[in-house]
Amino acid sequence: MSERLLAAIAALLAALVLGLAIFWQPELPERPLPRAGLPPGGDFTVQAARGPVSLSDFRGKLLLLYFGYTYCPDICPTSLMMTSEGLKQLTPEERARVATLFVSVDPPRDTPARLKEYAEFFDPQMIGATDTPERIAEIAKRYGVFYAAQKVDTAGAGYVVDHSADTLIVDETGRLVGKIAHATPPDQVAAAVRKYLKPQ
Amino acid sequence: MKKISLLAAGLLFSAGVLAGAADQVSVQEPYVRLAPPNAPATGAFMVIKNNGDKDIKVLKADNPVSRVTELHNHINDGGVMRMRPVQAIEIKAKGEAVLKPGSLHVMLIDLKAPMKEGDVVPITLGFDDGSSKQVDAKVVRPMPANMPAMEHKH
Repeated sequence: MSERLLAAIAALLAALVLGLAIFWQPELPERPLPRAGLPPGGDFTVQAARGPVSLSDFRGKLLLLYFGYTYCPDICPTSLMMTSEGLKQLTPEERARVATLFVSVDPPRDTPARLKEYAEFFDPQMIGATDTPERIAEIAKRYGVFYAAQKVDTAGAGYVVDHSADTLIVDETGRLVGKIAHATPPDQVAAAVRKYLKPQ
Repeated sequence: MKKISLLAAGLLFSAGVLAGAADQVSVQEPYVRLAPPNAPATGAFMVIKNNGDKDIKVLKADNPVSRVTELHNHINDGGVMRMRPVQAIEIKAKGEAVLKPGSLHVMLIDLKAPMKEGDVVPITLGFDDGSSKQVDAKVVRPMPANMPAMEHKH
């Protein structure tokens, strides 16, 4: 009898926790999309100056994933700077559990060496990588990232690339779990990261 | 007679320049964002205030460090940022235009040489009445909340 009561209480508590998890939405900058509304994501491998980098290399870490390009004159620097400043607000223990990866959607112009220098300008720990146009297109599609080259006569080498400017959050198990909107201020970046860092 | 009208026109012209849009305008917190290594372009940002009674337009900008200077804006299209040149930046009478990352900005395209922190880039804004104004913008490392330190030097 008391066991049944305990089970009932446990079920009630579980329902409450679940309900809270589903319905309680603190005001955070990342899009409050239900998991089902996020693109599938999944494993991939891209080429960095240090060699191939796979999503699975980041298991156990929260990964902030950004798709951009080095010729990007304004949007990428803004996003990357907000991210790197946000990460500075974490404790060293928290920071050690977060990785950042910048994937170029402009492989014709962005070499791994060029991307390394670019990414490290924002954060010495940030990895810059790319791959063949076909592979990048396939990865971007799985992550719901849109990009399209636009002809502009005066831009370097003749084109700019419109692209999704959200920072994607991939959890410790490799699952795409959220987004941080473009130009989210550093303190809110830190709050979003903390939200997804599992307590240890 | 011809000479006199020419002189008159000249006087009128110079008076026009002196009383032009450039004199109604004050620019605050101009800065150029330090371009990351390998980036061939970067943005310049500022707040342009129109202290006059007439609407004015910035039609162009120029600077000596890049081969091309353009006025740009960003359109946030469902999370996709699309950067596009604009023909003019309009500033209403007694109003202001805020040029900031992710929004309106002066684009310095095809940099002639890498810039470094602390460099000063003289940017000339050209207005719709033909007047112009030079703004000295300091090169700063990109900082959050567009803050070249919020130092109001007046």
